[in-house]
Amino acid sequence: MRARSAFFAGAGSVAILAVGWQAGLGALSSALPTSNAVASGTTGTGSSTSNSNTTPTQPGASPSSAPSASAEPAPAPAPVTPTVADGTYDGAVVNTRYGTVQVQAVIAGGQIVDVIAVKLTDADRKSEAISAQVAPMVHDEVLAAQSAHVANISGGTYTTQGYLQSLQAALDAAGFTG
Amino acid sequence: MSSTQSTASASTKTALSPHGERIARRYQRRRRGMDFLESLVYLSVAVSIALFLADGGAVYFINVTAWSDVTRGIGIVLGLVGSDLLLVSLLLSARLPLLDRVFGHDKVIAQHRKLGKPVLYLILAHMVFLLVGYGLAENLNPVAEIFSMINTLPDMLLAFIAMALMVLVVVTSLVIVRRKLPYQVWHAVHLLAYAAVLAAIPHQFSNGQLFADGKWARWYWIVLYVGTLASIVIFRFFVPIARSLRHNLVVSEVRKEANDVVTITMRGRDLAALPAKGGQFFNWRFLTPGLWLESHPYSLSAAPDGTHLRISVRELGDASRRLLAMKPGTRVFFEGPYGLFSESARTTEQAVFIGAGIGVTPLRAMLEDPHIGRRQATVILRGSTEEEVYLWGETYDLCVAKEAWLRVLVGSRPHGVQTWLSAEAYNQGERLTTLAPNIVNSDVFICGPTPWTDLVIRDARRAGVPEHRIHAERFDF
Repeated sequence: MRARSAFFAGAGSVAILAVGWQAGLGALSSALPTSNAVASGTTGTGSSTSNSNTTPTQPGASPSSAPSASAEPAPAPAPVTPTVADGTYDGAVVNTRYGTVQVQAVIAGGQIVDVIAVKLTDADRKSEAISAQVAPMVHDEVLAAQSAHVANISGGTYTTQGYLQSLQAALDAAGFTG
Repeated sequence: MSSTQSTASASTKTALSPHGERIARRYQRRRRGMDFLESLVYLSVAVSIALFLADGGAVYFINVTAWSDVTRGIGIVLGLVGSDLLLVSLLLSARLPLLDRVFGHDKVIAQHRKLGKPVLYLILAHMVFLLVGYGLAENLNPVAEIFSMINTLPDMLLAFIAMALMVLVVVTSLVIVRRKLPYQVWHAVHLLAYAAVLAAIPHQFSNGQLFADGKWARWYWIVLYVGTLASIVIFRFFVPIARSLRHNLVVSEVRKEANDVVTITMRGRDLAALPAKGGQFFNWRFLTPGLWLESHPYSLSAAPDGTHLRISVRELGDASRRLLAMKPGTRVFFEGPYGLFSESARTTEQAVFIGAGIGVTPLRAMLEDPHIGRRQATVILRGSTEEEVYLWGETYDLCVAKEAWLRVLVGSRPHGVQTWLSAEAYNQGERLTTLAPNIVNSDVFICGPTPWTDLVIRDARRAGVPEHRIHAERFDF
């Protein structure tokens, strides 16, 4: 191949890659679990950030959780048993690489008595398989810890992170601080 | 006529004749075509990676939470690039007329062969990286992950079968080429490649998130696959059958040329419409009991005249007898014409034709091409014995008609010297540059057994002939 053609082929390839990269940015911002709030332990941010990120792709998917959660300042230091109304609270819809995740927290008597998975990672059948395997494990850990601060399940990072983030939003909405 | 070389240098190096300009322009076009087609390959690789990026693939590599993500990301990219190049490799073997015209059949096939191993490694690595990546994610070892994938994902059993077939095809191709197993064995194994490609398709669409339903990348990928497979069906099967039926080729004469050489002349309908030139080859299939199962590549030994095609075949023993026994009227199916070993490959006006034994056939046919003018050709023929300078009479007459310079070197090669010359010529001090003094300004067309051909090419390079002017057609007994 002559030098000039090699240059054009190289430049063309780089241009194509750049276009691909640019096109991917949109997908990227919504694909990553949106914050490390759950993992780092600072509460109260999960719901609002994830909602702002999810609205473009999931219009109106989680209207129920948004208003109350964002208004609530989370750091409540009281070790006193909080008064949380019994009920089922919707978590935020969290976008992950492998599909959206949303859970509901069922609270009774000031305790998390159940977490219901509304939607789990399902982008492909592999993700579905992982979800089916990982979700019950996270579920049990959450009930045991009475908190969204539980260890990541390796092999199901996206599912776990999405699950916990959505759960945190639900707990925030409920005013549940553990 | 045989060796007057006085006027050899007069016609070249100076201003080009209109004829020379036509050749130069044609060559420029061909170079542009080469560059364009080569660029397409690089661009297609870039596109396959860009598809991955456009789908947010970079997420595997940034903000990494687990090594399994990176591993899976690499695995997916390897699979995309691997299958893109696999399709390129298939297209190279699809007998696309455009590729044949621009690069020539032998170069295209050489590239097809070169791609075999890299493609296999890319796709193997794709499999290994994804097994490790998903294995890490599920706490399974890669072998256990194979069964997990087969059980939990669609179409993965087929994909693993495809992988196994692909390994088989490449390995056997290498072994067969090395051991020189019969063509039929190699061909049968090679057909498995189609099965491998087909079996690998479903998992790409059912598991690849890039190609999920509703994404435009899915359509791009479908077009690539359908286009490639359609090209194969059209140009390897449909066109040859259609041409064979249309031209209705039948054997009109079988003549014994020498002890082991048979000239077969075939008559057909509408042959002027067949885009064949002297020097090109066809795969021939003679529809007679005992021969119809085999197809063999033979070069034309005469330029097509619009009504007849002619080949001259050197076959030993049994095969030769069977060809000789063919009756006029025998139907002939053919694939072709193929190859750029013809006047079309010329880059300049002067041409040197060097042939050994039955290698004279395409050279003789090329010499007959009306585009080869008077005083443009130098012909050098080799034979171990006088009888082995096949088609001697005709070639001599053509050289006279075209006012070509003709040299014939008969006898065995000298002992202890790596040369393609006869001992006699070698000892008299003849070299490529004495036999063809103007070789630096000529295209060189070489046809003979591989080791002999390689020696001629070596000498041509040493004489300063640029690579793009060396055209070789090899054959093996």
